[in-house]
Amino acid sequence: MDLIQQALPDFLVGVRNTIIYCVSAFPLALLLGLILALMSSSRIIWLRGPARIYIEIIRGTPFIVQLFILYYAVGAILLTVNLETLDNAWTAGIAILAINYSAYEAEVFRAGFLSVDRGQTEAALSLGLTSFQNFFRIILPQAIPLMIPPFVNDFIYMLKDSAIVSVIAGTELTSVLNTWVTHHGSNPIPLYALAIVLYLLLSLPTSYAARYFERRVRAAL
Amino acid sequence: MSFVEPSVERRSVRLFKQKTDGQSDTPTWLTLLNSLFYVAVLLAVVAFGYYLYTFQRDQGKLTLYLPVLLDGARVTLIVSILSMVLATIFGFIGAVGRLSRFAPIRWLATVYVEVVRGTPIIVQLLLWYYGVGYVLSTIGFDPYSIVFQIMTALQSNSLVPDQFNAYFYGIIGLSFNYGAYLTEVFRSGIESVSKGQIEAALSLGLNSRQTMRHIVLPQAFRITIPPFTNYFITLIQDSALLSVLAVIELDHQTFALALPQTDANVKMFVFVLGALLYLAMCYPLSLLARFLEARLARAY
Repeated sequence: MDLIQQALPDFLVGVRNTIIYCVSAFPLALLLGLILALMSSSRIIWLRGPARIYIEIIRGTPFIVQLFILYYAVGAILLTVNLETLDNAWTAGIAILAINYSAYEAEVFRAGFLSVDRGQTEAALSLGLTSFQNFFRIILPQAIPLMIPPFVNDFIYMLKDSAIVSVIAGTELTSVLNTWVTHHGSNPIPLYALAIVLYLLLSLPTSYAARYFERRVRAAL
Repeated sequence: MSFVEPSVERRSVRLFKQKTDGQSDTPTWLTLLNSLFYVAVLLAVVAFGYYLYTFQRDQGKLTLYLPVLLDGARVTLIVSILSMVLATIFGFIGAVGRLSRFAPIRWLATVYVEVVRGTPIIVQLLLWYYGVGYVLSTIGFDPYSIVFQIMTALQSNSLVPDQFNAYFYGIIGLSFNYGAYLTEVFRSGIESVSKGQIEAALSLGLNSRQTMRHIVLPQAFRITIPPFTNYFITLIQDSALLSVLAVIELDHQTFALALPQTDANVKMFVFVLGALLYLAMCYPLSLLARFLEARLARAY
């Protein structure tokens, strides 16, 4: 109990940093994902092709490998072009979370757009709306309520995946956990229990909120 | 139709045409532009191949590193398959628990699923190896020495890797984690079989065991195959996290080869090679999953 009391302030800083990682990476992932989704539903294959290739490559390789590539390989290249200010765990962590999740969000966006009945597009176009108006006034408003539950789910996944940033010594919860375990190795179980409880406090309420929201969306449809 | 603007008229005619004769309305320039893309992709693949080849030509790096990485990929595959088999068992037990009529067992299964799905897999792996493994070793349980003795009796103890404990707890941690996800997959598969079928089977005189065996499970099995394949793909990817526990798999090998490189380009080359091997393992499986999903969308 004493150990937990000592560790708690550090762990709470870790929780704060985990939240900072996710809150800054998730909007970036959404933005990139929207662009990718629009690209991959384009008629021009010069837009569709690169977006599909990006999505397949990102979804086909492990997160930790991407993190290593970004932090060590791209980092080394950044050093050679005198951009060493960008070579740190914060930028690498946030960038790779955004890059990795953009591929998943793109699929969510695409599924959301596809779920809006095609007749609506046809009706809008024959009523004289341009395809831009059709997208922003007809499709997007109807697709957003359907997309919110998967977005919340992906946010929870991101909260958990941000733990992997600890392998490049970030400052989030798992990194704090690792430092404490190496310094107080005699009895590590309470430290792990504390970290697990903190992660559950982050993820379970969000997941229950997502489930509640999903039920309401289902009921409204 | 005089009040409709010409452009709108054209668009609606276009939609109509698409509906009736199935002809695409793609203009010729777009078709040409699109076919040019495949040429560009081909060129890009050739250029990427040449990029890999330059490392082989100048320093012989490809034949130097590829066997090591392939060895890592082998370990990754073995670990993934073992974990998936164990995870299926965990998931099946979990699903039976969640569907149990006895409330405490149901609660236990729910807690298992919620706790495992609510915490990062890397924390769980660290907990299994450094936490549980450490505590068990203090009371005298050491998987390495047990397996080493067994394999010595079988006269093949060189097969036991030095880091056997990391493999052991890594596989247990991975399968314990994926067991929770598979629990939900199996549960929803079993629950998706309509209640009427079970009632019909029971009223035809089958007992509940026969109903499960002949009516429910075959149909549930069919539904669970695509998500099962998808989880296998993510499991292969998550097995890269075992590198944190010093399991000598693909990610660990890639990292160990790449980190000492001083040349940034060579470093990038090794990492790209490792990522390429993961892609070579995961992409065929993801095509398979998509094919299975498409098959499933059709009726029997």
